[in-house]
Amino acid sequence: MPSELELQISPIVQESLVHNTRTLVNLQSLTASLFGVSAGILGLESYSGFLYYLIFSLITSALFYVVRVAPTSIASEKPPLDTSRYFRGPVEFWTGGLMNGLAGFILTWTLFYGLVSA
Amino acid sequence: MAQVPVQTIHRDPQLFYWILFPITIVMILTGILRHYATVLMASAPKKLDQKTTREQRSLLHGMQVRSSFHALSKRSFNSRRDALITAYESGAYLKDPERKGQPPANPMTDPSSMEGMMGMMKNQMAMIIPNTLIMSWINAFFSGYVIMKLPFPLTIKFKSMLQAGVATKDMDPRWMSSISWYFLCIFGLQSVFNFILGNDNAASQMAQQMGQMGPQTAQMFGPGVDPNKQFLAEAENIAVVDHYSVLDGVEDRLLEGIRV
Amino acid sequence: MTILSKTITAFGGILLAHACYSAQEHSALHSLRVATAASLTSSSTVANSLPIDVVIETIVATFIILLGLVLGTRPLRPIQWRVWAGKIEREGEDGFKDNNGEVNKDYMGNPFNFIESRPNFVDIRKQRKEFAEWVRTGGGGQSTR
Repeated sequence: MPSELELQISPIVQESLVHNTRTLVNLQSLTASLFGVSAGILGLESYSGFLYYLIFSLITSALFYVVRVAPTSIASEKPPLDTSRYFRGPVEFWTGGLMNGLAGFILTWTLFYGLVSA
Repeated sequence: MAQVPVQTIHRDPQLFYWILFPITIVMILTGILRHYATVLMASAPKKLDQKTTREQRSLLHGMQVRSSFHALSKRSFNSRRDALITAYESGAYLKDPERKGQPPANPMTDPSSMEGMMGMMKNQMAMIIPNTLIMSWINAFFSGYVIMKLPFPLTIKFKSMLQAGVATKDMDPRWMSSISWYFLCIFGLQSVFNFILGNDNAASQMAQQMGQMGPQTAQMFGPGVDPNKQFLAEAENIAVVDHYSVLDGVEDRLLEGIRV
Repeated sequence: MTILSKTITAFGGILLAHACYSAQEHSALHSLRVATAASLTSSSTVANSLPIDVVIETIVATFIILLGLVLGTRPLRPIQWRVWAGKIEREGEDGFKDNNGEVNKDYMGNPFNFIESRPNFVDIRKQRKEFAEWVRTGGGGQSTR
């Protein structure tokens, strides 16, 4: 997290930040529903289901990094796994969408769990 | 503790087609309807007269100066600070300076603030009416059915909420009735609306409730706030700013940046 | 979304639907077998586990859809002003293109255009050259007529 002075020296474009965060959150809420579907089909229960969600969310973030962030970020001489070109902090990038998608995940998980193992 | 045998309840598969899917579809359609109703009912922001605009803009100006002082040189910041503080404390920007010391008017009697209240009421109505309708619809038609099982265990506390209308004492709280599916839909359909309606939709109640927590800017000029007090507070805030320029030491930074 | 990401997502969706159908059939068959077994013998604790191929199919389908969705996201924008401004200056409208090749609707032109038109930044030599060119061609043509 850069300090206040650093932010003032090289300011941040708020619109771009909003755009990036929104892109990521959209993707994560969409994929959370997808993970709910597959967890329901697999018939996962309690902890294993939540673990499944956690693992796949991290995989989503990693894939998003590889596809969208990495090509330009590495080209501009940032170290690998550094998202500071597009996001404010690594925590926001890797875990930002977890809470967002959780409700959608539980919804579709319950639905498909009920549908499949009726 | 002895292993509790897993409860299995044989349910009619028709329950899905006649309860689960109708509730889900009705929830989605209501969300879409609410979105378009909000779009249609949105009242255009009413025009402010010159004095009011000046009052609000000058306050915003002060805030901007305070928050981005680092882009100004010391001299220009100081002259701005002096000008703003004098103007704020003398009340030069007030809408009607002769009413300076008096308490603000009652927002109920002021017709201009009634308008804002009406807008808020309309939003609230668009949220409450469909919810009550759907809830009573579900209670009237679908109460007392056990339709599905949650994939994760819950404590016994949730039993009264999830199994409303099913008065069976020994049933595992994982079994849920139709009303709890309704609650799940309220919380979980956000991503569906995101997908259908785009990002800033008004379909989900959750988003609206979140929005009501934080409209700081809307409340700043809301009815019942004394602008004079705001000005005085802002003057104090500006007075205590410890100024430095972002260009301080820029030569050193530049030299550091171009060192090979 | 591009065609590629759409095809990948659709393919994954078909796989996932098939896996869902298989799992549903399996559990229906399983519960039927348990019911008949319970009527024959008293022990009915057969573990209800999915066949491995359905599990694999589900996970693979999830991955495929995930890939499709990630490929379908919009391109990101750099958040630092100095990077972003450089990108706008260099690429112009191209920096705002989404996957369909259409210019995004929140593109409002170069945000620094108003600075370019300030008198301080006018390139007077270039303008003088242009004016001389105009005098020699257009202006000159007019005078000969």
